[in-house]
Amino acid sequence: MASRSKRIVAVALFLIPPLLSGCITYQLLGGVEGGEISYPSDRLVVGKTTLGEVLVLLGAPDKVGRVNEGDLLIYQRAVLRRNRLSVGIPLADIWRLGIDLSAYGSLVRYDRLVLLFTPEGILSGAAFEKSSDHPYWKAMTSDS
Amino acid sequence: MKSASSLGISLLILVLCSGCVVLGKNTEYQPLDPILLEPLVPGQSRAADVCKVLGAPSQVVELSNGNAYVYRRSVTKGTGVWLVLVSFVNGEQQHDHVVFFFDKNDLLTHYGVSLNAGKASYGFPF
Repeated sequence: MASRSKRIVAVALFLIPPLLSGCITYQLLGGVEGGEISYPSDRLVVGKTTLGEVLVLLGAPDKVGRVNEGDLLIYQRAVLRRNRLSVGIPLADIWRLGIDLSAYGSLVRYDRLVLLFTPEGILSGAAFEKSSDHPYWKAMTSDS
Repeated sequence: MKSASSLGISLLILVLCSGCVVLGKNTEYQPLDPILLEPLVPGQSRAADVCKVLGAPSQVVELSNGNAYVYRRSVTKGTGVWLVLVSFVNGEQQHDHVVFFFDKNDLLTHYGVSLNAGKASYGFPF
């Protein structure tokens, strides 16, 4: 009797995953664009550091632009995370109705360094944000 | 009996791990060779010299005191693993950038180089 129930459990274990395949799926997706961004604040001095020194220190920026009174360089890295859980019974091919429930959450976090320069190429301002350090689940469940 | 349960566990793992793996790579633009930059000297080279060496820029940006020419190359590597109940997909895109800054007379004043495209790698999203 015990061996029979073991056999049933074994058969069930083999059959359930293929039968559920396509019905219950969990997907974890990740993506990164750009390299690590650092902010050497001790070497970037407003009113003193030049454009040439920044280019030697940090390399080429991801974006270059012009603002009212000068130019800006942007160094950026994007980190994407997405979780998706889907539960459904794919009956659409044999029956017009199908059941499908899915939930997902996507979060793109940016590390960004923005440097402003005067027309003469002197650093006039800097802003740094490192949001990739924020925990995924904490950011997803936050109301703000 | 023990060998039968071992076989059962092995088969179960095999069933649960059945699926497929996909590796993909996408490259945009031609490689940026650092040797090509050697003859380009700030204070001497002009925009025409840069274009002669590297070709047409990916982007030209007007700045307050001149222009910037942006050369960009991207490499994206993607990894996908589909199992019975779970799937993992990961993508990484890295760039080679060279940005040349010119004054209003098209004279090269500075340039910056970031060569990270080769650092793109395959992996998992965790």
